[in-house]
Amino acid sequence: MDFDQSLDCKGLSCPMPIIKLSKAIKGMEVGQVLEMQGTDPGSKTDVPAWCEKTGNEFLAVEEADGVNKFYIKKS
Amino acid sequence: MFKKGILRELYDSIFAKSWPMWFGGVLLAILNLLLFVIKYPWGGSGGYLNIGQNLFGSLGFDSMATGTAINMHTVAILNITIVLGALISSLFSKEFSIKIAPFGELVKGFIGGALMGIGAIVGVGCTTGGFLSGVPALSGGALFLTAGFLIGTFLAMKYILWEMEAFPNVSMGKSYTFLPGTKAGMGWQRWFAWVLLASTFYVISSYTGDGTSGMKILGWHVIIGLTLGLILQRSRFCIVRAFREPFMTGESSAPVAIMLSLLILIFGFTALKYFGVGNVAETAVRAIEMKAVYPSFWAKALIGGTIFGLGMTIAGGCAIGTLWRAGEGHIKLWMAILGFTIMAPITKAFIAPVFDSFLPKSEKIFLPDYLGYTGSVLLVLGFILLAYIFVKWNEKTGKFSAL
Repeated sequence: MDFDQSLDCKGLSCPMPIIKLSKAIKGMEVGQVLEMQGTDPGSKTDVPAWCEKTGNEFLAVEEADGVNKFYIKKS
Repeated sequence: MFKKGILRELYDSIFAKSWPMWFGGVLLAILNLLLFVIKYPWGGSGGYLNIGQNLFGSLGFDSMATGTAINMHTVAILNITIVLGALISSLFSKEFSIKIAPFGELVKGFIGGALMGIGAIVGVGCTTGGFLSGVPALSGGALFLTAGFLIGTFLAMKYILWEMEAFPNVSMGKSYTFLPGTKAGMGWQRWFAWVLLASTFYVISSYTGDGTSGMKILGWHVIIGLTLGLILQRSRFCIVRAFREPFMTGESSAPVAIMLSLLILIFGFTALKYFGVGNVAETAVRAIEMKAVYPSFWAKALIGGTIFGLGMTIAGGCAIGTLWRAGEGHIKLWMAILGFTIMAPITKAFIAPVFDSFLPKSEKIFLPDYLGYTGSVLLVLGFILLAYIFVKWNEKTGKFSAL
């Protein structure tokens, strides 16, 4: 999937991925897509929940070799 | 086309998706009631202390040693089997991998764990024994401990947000992931989980003895600990999250899950205490009433709770949340276990006496002695209702949420 910016959250555990995600999205333009890479199993539920709460669009998650790649569009 | 097998369906319903946290809260409350009846309500920090004391004792530090071996200590057994249960659960659900966080995060894990070790001993209890068991046990100290957790979490949250702005490099840098279950060729992980599970039956059977002997009780703790580990890992039950989320995203599902768990425990523990239902070895009704009421009222609970709250938020897991995340392979939380295990015995021997020397004398306060059972339950329910209103109001308005 195409994205404008990438955020590395590999190895991090709760709450760091969400704090970093929030900060990264704040620095982006509306309509841009962020790719976030993480290894915490908790992110699979946390990231979509955070998107719903903040009104950003959760596009997809791809899993490969233990790394989850989340795609979020800033709204 | 064949339909999915019935057993496969069962397997998927347990391991394919995370469980809602409130569901975990309900199941954990039931197991905590079981622990109350068999021996003593659930706790965490006592197990870290025991393992640390055994460690220091084996190194020759007699002032920090203990007479109870790890495999004879109910809480130490629970802690170890929770890690094991979470490991087995994460292997089955393909969520296990060895996750090594950037160096700064590992240091934060250790410091957070060390603060939890200090706080749990000073405040006489952690978020499990002091809060999740202590509040339903109608302990006066538990209310001050809870206030301390809130203060500590709030301050640590401020720190983490400040660190993100001022020193973003702390949580950046090289990270490593080994043995992810989703990678091709990792099918052996499920077989390994079966082997681990089978070997626990050997451990359980090694606790032999007749009828009501203490050894049988220990064997039961192995079974309960493994089950706790499974429930915790699948539902990602996290007390730090419940305290932290109102100040972070404002999301209310974690605090509400904990409140539901507390609600079940309040009615359960109260009934057990009121009717004097205890374990097989104890006959005195008073001893049953005083279960999970620790000598911490009020200053020690408040100060210990604050230190513990700082630690658990920095580490990203309380005494119990640290255990199941360690089982899942987070090395940061292994560092927290290390810090907790080292600092708990040191605090017990050297730091807690210093606090005792200048703080007002701490006591075991059992609320029904002062307010009656009805008054005490109403007081605690009142606090939970207030917390619920705050959390839900804050979720809508975001007044206290930073993100």
